[in-house]
Amino acid sequence: MLTTYLKKSTHAAPLAIFRIATGCMLFLSIVRFWANGWIEELYIKPKYYFGFYGLEFIKPLGNYTYILFMVCAVAAILVAIGLWYKQAIIVLFLSFTYIELMDKSTYLNHYYFTSLVLFLLIFLPAHRYFSVDTYRNKSLNFSYIPKWNIDIIKFFVLMLYFYAGLAKLNSDWLLNALPLKIWLPARNDMPLIGWLFNYKITAYVFVWIGCIYDLTIGFLLWNNKTRLFAYLSVVIFHFVTAILFPIGMFPYIMIVTALIFFSAQFHQKIINLFNQWLKLPAGFIQNNQTFIYKPFALKFRIVILSVFFLVQMILPFRYMFYPQELFWTEEGYRFSWRVMLMEKAGYAQFTVKSSNGKAIVVNNLDFLTLLQEKMMSTQPDFILQYAHLLRDYYHSHGYPNPQVFADVYVSLNGRIGQTFINPKIDLAQEKESFKHKNWILPLNYEIKGF
Amino acid sequence: MRLLSVSSSKYIIVGLILIATVFACSKSEVNLTETNKNETDRKALLTNLSDNIIVPAYADFKTQFDNMLAKSDAFTATPNTANLIAFRASWRVAYINWQKVEMFDFGPGQTYAIRAHFNIYPTNVSTIANNIAAGNTNLEVPASYAAQGFPAIDYLINGIGNSDAEIVAEYTSATDATKKINYLKRITNQMNTVFNQVYTAWKGDFATTFKSKTAIDAGSSTSTLINGYILNFERYIRSGKIGIPAGSMTPGTNFPQKVEAFYTKDLALTLAKTAQTATYNFFLGKSYQNQTAGYSIKNYLDALNVKDATSGKLLSEIVTQQFDVIDVQLNGLQNNLYSEVINNNQKMINTYTEMQKLVRLLKVDMTSAMSITISYTDNDGD
Repeated sequence: MLTTYLKKSTHAAPLAIFRIATGCMLFLSIVRFWANGWIEELYIKPKYYFGFYGLEFIKPLGNYTYILFMVCAVAAILVAIGLWYKQAIIVLFLSFTYIELMDKSTYLNHYYFTSLVLFLLIFLPAHRYFSVDTYRNKSLNFSYIPKWNIDIIKFFVLMLYFYAGLAKLNSDWLLNALPLKIWLPARNDMPLIGWLFNYKITAYVFVWIGCIYDLTIGFLLWNNKTRLFAYLSVVIFHFVTAILFPIGMFPYIMIVTALIFFSAQFHQKIINLFNQWLKLPAGFIQNNQTFIYKPFALKFRIVILSVFFLVQMILPFRYMFYPQELFWTEEGYRFSWRVMLMEKAGYAQFTVKSSNGKAIVVNNLDFLTLLQEKMMSTQPDFILQYAHLLRDYYHSHGYPNPQVFADVYVSLNGRIGQTFINPKIDLAQEKESFKHKNWILPLNYEIKGF
Repeated sequence: MRLLSVSSSKYIIVGLILIATVFACSKSEVNLTETNKNETDRKALLTNLSDNIIVPAYADFKTQFDNMLAKSDAFTATPNTANLIAFRASWRVAYINWQKVEMFDFGPGQTYAIRAHFNIYPTNVSTIANNIAAGNTNLEVPASYAAQGFPAIDYLINGIGNSDAEIVAEYTSATDATKKINYLKRITNQMNTVFNQVYTAWKGDFATTFKSKTAIDAGSSTSTLINGYILNFERYIRSGKIGIPAGSMTPGTNFPQKVEAFYTKDLALTLAKTAQTATYNFFLGKSYQNQTAGYSIKNYLDALNVKDATSGKLLSEIVTQQFDVIDVQLNGLQNNLYSEVINNNQKMINTYTEMQKLVRLLKVDMTSAMSITISYTDNDGD
């Protein structure tokens, strides 16, 4: 059955459009990022960076960081037009992923999503139809590709939504309408719809629609009969989130990504338009060649992609290996499609004590930016990294054998805050690992569900 | 690969919507009545705070400050004991009034860095000496901040000699008397220039813009106002007035000489209390002139119905109680905080501890409940 499925072919137009759209969206994202001055603000100005565990060597490159973004932008264009695709997609994946790994203060799920899509594209023949590569070398040109090439992207998008929906099946979201009950009233001055946010029921309607939307939208997009309705709701849903919340490019990326679910004919029409507009010969987009992988290339892809999807399916559930409340400890929170689930705020004060009796309460802004401080104050792995940074800094500034104690106060989803970290623990001695951090004090209420 | 037939997916949707409705209704008895309506009004908040507190407070400060400038001019024109005493008295009143406007650390106050020119302490005596000698040092750079404003004047009219006669002599018979007079003139002029920039802005277009920017994203009026207000309390009341002298930031070592108005021994507590009361009144939205409460941050929190999940107590109540606790602590201190640090530091530390609790309530619980953002960058809420 699997072998017959793998042999099924389909028109290459959807994948070509997906390649073009992804390249263009990424290019625009980078231009926007640059124009907003965020390269400077996030990757050049800070004195310290919070690397990911085990990947701390991935850091901004000083002023060369601009070159990194430039490389990424050029690669995005090359991918979009399909020139030197095989090399360009690898460069794009690596440069984009490198950027996202430089400081986890800027971690966003949609950047993670984009990185993974780029990874998938490395293994897909997205340049074999309607690309500069095929224009230059006709022997690369194929109108048909294996059906699974497109199905895996659809499946990945479906998975993203479905897991985002699963993550919403918790008591705070469904029963308390949190955190939307906090966020929406802050928007009550919006024209036309602002008044709605003064009513509690609005938040409840939003959370339930959001949850049902996430859980079902992938299936509804996949189904021929429901697709148009589903796509319309994708556009409306993401448009609403775009005006309500500061989530940047994400809504637009998803609106464009969901096009992949449309039929080959639909994409073919777009490509026909492009083709006419570019005054290219009709034969360029109409050959009846079917692209077939060589046996080894196919096996290689099956292995890689199976591992990929297996990891993707398991990773969001890794939180189950940790005790305590996930929203509180955030152990296993990232890389799990958990979006818009928490309003978390914290206040962290660190005291450094040396063996010669000196002691100081640290002003965080001497070391961190506002964004970094905000992220650090609510996430234990940041707190530990920062404590180690302080230990090393003060050790070389006249504080022998420094001990570092954290006084951290955190509020989750609008409840009155409580002490987050055991203030008696010397964090200078604690080591980072994937094990549970037993110096996180337990949350004094329970959030039920995923 | 059809995963769901049309009919089954329809049923799922209808089913889920039904469950949603039933669940939502049973859980919270949702209906569009007033009890389920939490209407916050940022326009009213911004209007009350700017029209009834900020602008009148600046206006009142201007009166006291102009009086101080006049007395300063009289002293620099004719340095004698009588003029010194008059200058000192007007400085004292202005400094106390300054405590009621220092917390407006947003908008023009922030743009023109008014605090940097008015109240950075402990003042740096050697920088002052260098500036006096040089005569034309740039007062706009951070290195000069600790050599101007009220604390520098404090030194120049209270600390530069041991008696009034000695102080007057510094401006009459000392070899650099003229230079000192010039420096006094320079720093009072600097204060006047900066203050007028801030005051003109508030009297002019800024207030209108301020009241109209009712959004709550980073850069909006509410967001900058709340952030500036909290920062002032955290860093310039809790730390500056109490924590740093008491050694709360440097456990084991205290710095009595870092109290505010160090050269005027009996003033520090009055300044701290004035600032604390102003901060409290701002939270309560009390009119600067007649103390009647208008739409306030407290009302805003109540409109959001923010409560402690376990006790059911309103956050605004928890905050006001903490303000009251701090008042009790401050009332237990002697006027001379310098000697309190030396003799009764535990009381100072206790005051700091209670202030620290308020910082948490304001900075974490309040901003979180109000959905205040600090950063312009994208955020997907995790």
